[in-house]
Amino acid sequence: MRAKPFLLISAAIAAGIGAAWLAAHAGADRPTEPGPVLTLLVGTSLIGCGLASWRTRPDNRLGPVMVLTGFAWFAGLLSEATSAPLYTAGIAIEYVFVCGFIYIVLTFPSGQLRGTLDKAIIVIAISGSLGLQVAAMLFGSGSGLRCGGDCGHNLIQVVHDNGLALTLLSLQRLFGAMLTLTAVVLLTTRWVRASAPQRRELTWVVLAGDATLLALAFTVIDDLLGNPLSSTPAKIWFATLALVPIAVIATFARRRLARGSVAGLIVQLGVPTEPANLRAALARALGDPSLDLAFWFPAEARYVTADGRPVEVPAAGSGRRSTFVERDGTPIAMLLHDPALEHNSGLVESVCAAAGLALENERLQAELRARLVELNASRGRLVEATDAERRRIERDLHDGTQQRLVSIAMSLGLLESKLAPDQSDAAPIVREARTALTLALEELRELTQGIHPTLLVERGLPVALEELCRRAGLPAHLNVDLDVRLSDQVETAAYYFVSEALSNAVKHSHGNEVRIDVSYDGHTLTVEIADDGIGGAAIGPGSGLRGLADRVEALGGQFTLSSPPGRGTRLRAEIPCA
Amino acid sequence: MRVAVGDDAVILREGLARLLQEAGFEVVGVAADAEELLELVDRSEPDVAIVDIRMPPTHTDEGLRAAKAIREAHPAIGILVLSQHVHARYAIELLSSGTDGVGYLLKERVADLDELSASVRRVGQGGSVLDPAVVSQLVGRRRQADNPLEHLTDREREVLALMAEGRSNKAIAERLFVSEHTVEKHIKNIFGTLQLPHSPDDHRRVLAVVTYLDSE
Repeated sequence: MRAKPFLLISAAIAAGIGAAWLAAHAGADRPTEPGPVLTLLVGTSLIGCGLASWRTRPDNRLGPVMVLTGFAWFAGLLSEATSAPLYTAGIAIEYVFVCGFIYIVLTFPSGQLRGTLDKAIIVIAISGSLGLQVAAMLFGSGSGLRCGGDCGHNLIQVVHDNGLALTLLSLQRLFGAMLTLTAVVLLTTRWVRASAPQRRELTWVVLAGDATLLALAFTVIDDLLGNPLSSTPAKIWFATLALVPIAVIATFARRRLARGSVAGLIVQLGVPTEPANLRAALARALGDPSLDLAFWFPAEARYVTADGRPVEVPAAGSGRRSTFVERDGTPIAMLLHDPALEHNSGLVESVCAAAGLALENERLQAELRARLVELNASRGRLVEATDAERRRIERDLHDGTQQRLVSIAMSLGLLESKLAPDQSDAAPIVREARTALTLALEELRELTQGIHPTLLVERGLPVALEELCRRAGLPAHLNVDLDVRLSDQVETAAYYFVSEALSNAVKHSHGNEVRIDVSYDGHTLTVEIADDGIGGAAIGPGSGLRGLADRVEALGGQFTLSSPPGRGTRLRAEIPCA
Repeated sequence: MRVAVGDDAVILREGLARLLQEAGFEVVGVAADAEELLELVDRSEPDVAIVDIRMPPTHTDEGLRAAKAIREAHPAIGILVLSQHVHARYAIELLSSGTDGVGYLLKERVADLDELSASVRRVGQGGSVLDPAVVSQLVGRRRQADNPLEHLTDREREVLALMAEGRSNKAIAERLFVSEHTVEKHIKNIFGTLQLPHSPDDHRRVLAVVTYLDSE
């Protein structure tokens, strides 16, 4: 649909002059007549604003509807004409403009009828304002059509029954009052339920619309009661009606102003931004404080947050909408925003275009962070797999080799007891075998305990550490402040941390004693091991300390080493316990 | 003496039963897990129950728990816990519930039939047995220089370890090739140096000694 402004404007001027002339020359026979000034005001407002809106947003039906409503308004003034055909036509379409008005306030800002209720209201409005009007005209004329004085001739009267016509018209007004009040409730509810950005957009039109609807209801009720207030209610209703198109056009204009903020955005993006700043800048430019950004992570073909965590695309009906930003056909980012922005795709497009480069930068950083998140997770999985493998090996050794060796020991015991006294030279050989077997079992025991500390799983960290200290080659003072069980990974990490640090201290520190402090504050497990040795320890590749640091860091923990020469070594691990 | 055996590995429980029979014990039955063992003990009331510490379903310390359960239900039945690990904590836990008729031994000790039958007998007669490996871990633990243990002579330390193993004065004397009188003298010195209350009962002093060794 394309507006033809010249033709339309000429037609509007002609219609306006005609309507104003009719209004000026009408007798004061009906109190609901607008008079020439209001006639022009309402019509001009509707057609003018309608044309402006039509021009700036040709896809939105509100523009043409406003123009049509304006013409319908002027046409209604034909009811003041004396010529019979004009009078008949004028009376018939006298209230058609009311349907247009209701359509405008109900469908703003999209111009589309949404639900069944909206459609029902429009259908009832048309049947009431046009259907009942024409029905009354089949029976009534003159005063039967509420015309007080010098009325035109009704060409479509079939049966003369002014009583029936007046009843029909009263019915029409009753319907009108009910419908109008329903619309007020509907509009107000919608405004209350809207999100902040939506509400900002609706406010002016809902205010003007509600005021007009209430004035209309008031006018209709006054009319039903025989016009005790004369023409005042009608004047108020026409005046508020003139405000509705202005509210529409003002809201649309503010959107255009918002697009001006894109220029501000471009200036802002000229300086390097933090992700939070970019989000804030976009939120400001779009006028949606709830805006969120997500970035495309090609390795996993999904969107992630600025700090690398996965984000789902919002489902339909979730109260959030997404706009996808692409560059040369590849996805860059997703804007998660309020549904209100859907009616303003122009602004969103301009903002996305302006922020494209900054978003791409941000996407690269988010990708890096996502890779780090993934890397950390895989490091954790490696440690977990190692632990599981150690458990398996320990179990296999226990159930297999150790048991077989013990059973050989039994056989040896049995053999020894069966040796006859005259086989005494065999006895030392058996004893020798037994001693060797005992040593082998001892070594195996040490090995399996090193591989996987069963006591840790069975009795928890404090007991396992106690046992470690009992076996340590240095006097070890253990101070544990922990009375809950922590996750397997945390306990295992802490255990190996102490175990490795202890054996380091025994082997390298030349110290006299070791202090071990373990504490837990409900969130973080802190383990500190300090010796009084020569210091000078460093984390090098392949050193046990490197492995310790890896284990702690894989759990998102922090590892610190302080080992000034001559002043002992202090190792500290802080492990978060989520 | 009547003995019940609980171990989840067929090869070990059958081997152990054979060994014990060879050594002159009457094996009243064998069990593959703690539950079975408790039933067996209830049914046949042996003098001693020998139990593997690690059994199904969790393969952690079922044997230890079974030992405690047997102690509560049948205080007169001796319990010998076999383990493949030197866990002083488990040994101490076991002893703290009463040192009469309990023992903690490494599994490999079965290779020496004489020692094994002596241990089973000791437990069956209400004495206690603590594996030398556990004791040496407790005695040999590194301590600070000012620890009273450092003031013991080597011989006294040997006596202390044998005491902790649950041996009687007579057994200690035999082991060290000295007279019982000498052993008594050493013990008096040890208790004096460590400031332990003297207990005349061979059995009861085990816990005092072990607790002392573990705490310092």
